[in-house]
Order: sequence, then C-alpha cells, then structure tokens
Amino acid sequence: MLRSLRLATLLGGLLLSACTLAADIDAASYGYPLTNPFEATIASTPPELRPELPSDEEINQSDYNLNLRPERAFSLPDNFWPVKKLRYRMARQDHPAPLIFLIAGTGAPYNSSLNEYLKKLYYKAGYHVVQLSSPTSFDFMTSASRFATPGVSKEDAEDMYRVMQAVRAQHPHLAITDFYLTGYSLGALDAAFVSHLDETRHSFNFKRVLLLNPPVNLYTSVSNLDKLVQTQVKGINNSTTFYELVLGKLTRYFQQKGYIDLNDALLYDFQQSRQHLSNEQMAMVIGTSFRFSAADIAFTSDLINRRGLITPPKYPITEGSSLTPFFKRALQCDFDCYLTEQVIPMWRARSDGGSLLQLVDQVSLYALKDYLKGSSKIAVMHNADDVILGPGDIGFLRSTFGDRLTLYPHGGHCGNINYRVNSDAMLEFFRG
Amino acid sequence: MVKKLLFVAALLTAGLAQADDTPPQAPTADADGFTQPLKSLKFNPGLDQREFERSTLTALNVYDPWESWNRRVYHFNYRFDEWVFLPVVNGYQAITPGFVRSGVSNFFSNLGDVPNLLNSLLQLKGKRSMEVTARLLLNTTIGVAGLWDPATKMGIPHQSEDFGQTLGFYGVPEGPYLMLPILGPSNLRDTGGLVVDYRGETQINFLNVAEVSSNHPELVALRAVDKRYTTSFRYGQTNSPFEYEKVRYVYTAARQLQINE
Repeated sequence: MLRSLRLATLLGGLLLSACTLAADIDAASYGYPLTNPFEATIASTPPELRPELPSDEEINQSDYNLNLRPERAFSLPDNFWPVKKLRYRMARQDHPAPLIFLIAGTGAPYNSSLNEYLKKLYYKAGYHVVQLSSPTSFDFMTSASRFATPGVSKEDAEDMYRVMQAVRAQHPHLAITDFYLTGYSLGALDAAFVSHLDETRHSFNFKRVLLLNPPVNLYTSVSNLDKLVQTQVKGINNSTTFYELVLGKLTRYFQQKGYIDLNDALLYDFQQSRQHLSNEQMAMVIGTSFRFSAADIAFTSDLINRRGLITPPKYPITEGSSLTPFFKRALQCDFDCYLTEQVIPMWRARSDGGSLLQLVDQVSLYALKDYLKGSSKIAVMHNADDVILGPGDIGFLRSTFGDRLTLYPHGGHCGNINYRVNSDAMLEFFRG
Repeated sequence: MVKKLLFVAALLTAGLAQADDTPPQAPTADADGFTQPLKSLKFNPGLDQREFERSTLTALNVYDPWESWNRRVYHFNYRFDEWVFLPVVNGYQAITPGFVRSGVSNFFSNLGDVPNLLNSLLQLKGKRSMEVTARLLLNTTIGVAGLWDPATKMGIPHQSEDFGQTLGFYGVPEGPYLMLPILGPSNLRDTGGLVVDYRGETQINFLNVAEVSSNHPELVALRAVDKRYTTSFRYGQTNSPFEYEKVRYVYTAARQLQINE
C-alpha cells in the first residue's frame, strides 16, 4: 500500500514536472548566427536578421520632465543642471491602447539603444510606450532616487513605482486600456520587484510582465562583470594600453577597408575581419563598459549623499571645475567596491544590520521566489550563455518559472533581444 | 575493481581535458543547460590586473590647459543645444518632407567634397582623390548640383578629409584641446584647419554658394541647421557625470584614427 502510494507520488511528480518544463529552444532551429556569447553581447544581431521597425519620424513621441526631487536643485552642484529633473520618453498611439513601460539596464538612460529598439517594436504593435531610465543611471539617481544608492532592489522598485505613477499623472487624457511592463538586464530585475510592489498598491495592475535576461543572483552578476576586466589579453605591454590595442586594430581594419563607415553592421563585420578581437579582448571590452557604469554610480552616490569617499563633502564645484580628479578616483571602484563601501553601510544603517548574504538574498530574484512561482502573468526569457549568470541560476529560473521560462541557446547578454525570433516571441507573449 | 575503473576514467578525462584546452570552443552545458561562458576565458591568476585603470588613466591624459574655459563652453553649448538648436532642428524636421531634407544634406555634402578633394591631394592620396573627384563630377552633373547623391549608390561613399587631418598627416601636433562655442570639441590644430578650409571655400566659390551666402545669411543658417540635423551627437547622451572627459577622449582618439586611416 505504502509502496503504491510512493509510486503514485513519484508519477504525480513526474507528470507535474513534465507540464511545467521550460521552453528550451534548440540551437539548430533557433538559427541565431552568433554562437560566441561575447560577440553576441557586443555586436548583437546582424541587421538583416532584425525585425522591420518604423523610423523615429513615423513615431508620435516626445520627451517629458518630472520634478520629483525639487530639493536636489539646491543641493546638487551647478554643473548637474541637466539632471535635476528626470526625463523620460513617451510614444503615443492616436487611439485607446495598452501602455507598456520599458526599464533600461545597468547605468542605461531612457533612450539607450535597446530601449529605443523595444519602443519601436511595441509601438509598431500598437502600444503606447514609456521609456524609463534605470535606477542605477546617472539621471535617475540625481533626480528620482530618494537615497541615491541603487542596488537594494526593493528600494529601487519603490523609486521606480513613484516615477511610473508620476508619468501616469502627467498624462491624464491618454486613453489606456491595460498596463504592461518589461525590462532588460538589471531593468528586468527591477521590473520583477515593481510588479511585486504593484500587487499591494494596485496603481497599474499589470496584465503581463516580461523579464529579459535578468540577473538571478545580483552578486554573482556583478562579480562576473567585475571579473571580466581580469582576462589575460595578448598584446598589452608597457607601451600599449588596452584602448590603444583596440584602436590600433580598428585603424588597421579601416585601412584595409579603404574608408571609415560607422553603421549597425560595423561590429559584426569587424569581427569577421582579420583584426577581430579574441574572447579575452571582447570580455575586456564588456567589462570596461560596466566599469564605467560602476564609476558613474560610485561617484554620483557618494556626491549626493556627501559620503566623502570620492568627492570631499564641501568641495566647491562650479561649471568650470574639473571633475577629472574625481573620475580618476571613481574609476578605481568596481561594483564590489561600491557595494562594500556604499550600499552595505547604508543598508545596515537602515535595516538593523545584516550580512552580505542576507543583502544578496534580499536584492536578488530569490526574494520573490514564491511570488514569481505563483503569478502566471510574469515570464522570463534568458540565454544559456549569458555572461551575467552563474551555475545554478538557470536551475532557479526553471524551478521558479516552469514553462514561463524561455531559454535560448545563444545570444550572450541581451545580444539576441533584437533577433526576429525573439521579438516575435516577445510580442506573442504580450498578445496573450 | 570499480575504483580502478574510475581511476582510469579519471585519467582519460584528464588527458582529454588537457588535449582540448587549446580551442576553448564548443562549451558543454551543465545539468541546467547553462554553458558557463566565463569558463572559456583565460583569467589573470591573481585577479589583480589593473589594466582597466591603467588604460583609462592614460586615456585621461589629453593636453587640456584651458579646461576651465572649455567646460564652461561645454555647458553653454549644452544649453544652446537644448534651448535653441535642437528645437529649431525639430521645427525644420516638422515643416519639411524627408526628400527635401536629404536634398539639402546632399547639396551641402557635395560642397564639402571640394575641401575633401583639396585635402586628399595635399596628403598625396591618389586613390581617394580620384574617388572624390568622381563623386564631385557625378553628383554635380547627374545629381543636379548635388541635390542627389548617385555616387554613393554607385559604391563611392562620402569620405571626409579636412585641413586639420592634412596637418596631422604631416605630423603637426594637435595642441591644446579646445571646446568651440556651438561647433563643439576641437583642438588648436583642427581649429586652424577649420579656418583654412573656410577660407578655401570662400576663395573657390564652388557653385557660387560662398558668394550668395554673403548676401543671404539664411543660406548659412540652413547649412548650420542641416549640420546639426545630420550630427547624431546629443549632449547628455553618455548619461555620465564625466561626459566632458569621455567626449574629449573620443574626439582625440577619433581624430587620430581619421589621420592614420
């Protein structure tokens, strides 16, 4: 009897797991040409495989400003005048339509190229689209963030939610049928936390939420990114820095080509040429771009909170002052340094202590596991070769999202979001 | 027995692993389907490489003795762009159809091929001089005074050569970095080059444009608006507190690349 019961549970378990299997796309039928994750991350999809999208002139769109933190107009130095108000972009349909919010990735502004691409995609499909800066971006930190110390996902989501409410309030006559939400990279993690917040506040009642390449464990992701600048790169020596190496390659590439032509296919074409970068060099390029984001975040957070780690608290800054000394200091600070020097102390002070492990648990997708498991309106799309993931992360996504996870075999970090197969799947998900 | 087998298997796999460590391609997925992209990279063993810092600190070494003035001009340009220039460009975009705008751009671009040709000649670039000459002939005749750009369609793309590049080609150092009002980033050498190119254009008076422009300032204004319309750079687009430094480096590196190319 006991035995048959066990058998029954086993069978039941098998059946259950069978019906919640993630959609694994196999490489052959997927057809994405860039099988190298670093190449995909940098160059993204070759232009001919991207979806056809409207040009900017065909879109009815404008930029708007929100004055969410008026006190910053006085507390920030003069040369930050452009970021004292939060800017966002809205594309509107001329008929009642659903509205979709787009949240940008680490350090990226509302008009980042991926946000622009997603706007065109959803606008063409008939949505009103609102593009928002990442809570880690320079403009968001100065003009919308209460503590200006991004990284604590729950707090970032609160800031983001206020921004979204303010956006809604600024357009009372816009006819909106439903609200949708999406984000890529860190913006996807933010979207998950915003969606969770919305379950109690009900300002939007998002109908569907799509997470594109979110970090699962935020600490794994930032450690991976920090590590990317530690690759052994051939060709660097006492007289040649990494930038000079890459510029030299670019120069020779253009010399061989005969002319300088900057276009969408440049990076792809460059990687096909003899001057192409090695995996280590590409990793270094990706790592470098994230280190610049880390430097911006560390500097801005320190300045607004007057922590004195980078900028002396009472140092006079005018429009003519050089920020280069502070840049030099900030660029020495990677994500790990920002976390230990700025996020953890603030988080401890606000939440009665706690260890790094607890913080990681709170700011990663782990914190929302039960919510994500039970809410069928949220789906995730990820890549098996994403550089921000670590071992076990995809297992977590599988067990949490079940068949709401779509796992692509290639694409690196966000490299395949503008691939036609992905864009079709994204539109299909929101169509319901 | 089993232990022995395991040992042999371990040895074999070790041998295999050693054998295929040369091309780190064809990653194998773990049980979750994760292919561990970072596993294929060779890292610095101590993870204490300071190459990012070294490269960036070196890149920040641009000779910029007039930085305070330059930064003020940068902010002036930013405001001018936000409050005057871009609104005008948007208005221009709103009132003109696309083919008119591309005609205007082609027309001024064709005018610009005259200094391009002169500077290609001065740098003794035979092939490029021929190409620019072909462009000028085709676009001025078939393209009706440059309103169309048939040359690009026939595979001769626009390439710019200015006197600053010519000076750089002959080894003239760039001199101090200089932020020009409205025109944007430059340096002493390129500013000098700009003046020479401008003088050359008025002297040659190609298609009589320079002469007409002196009595019709609206033509100069149209040229300025077109220039802004075709320049994709926006102040604030790096979204960084260190945009000034980044623009300075990119300008310097890009000019170096143009000169070497």
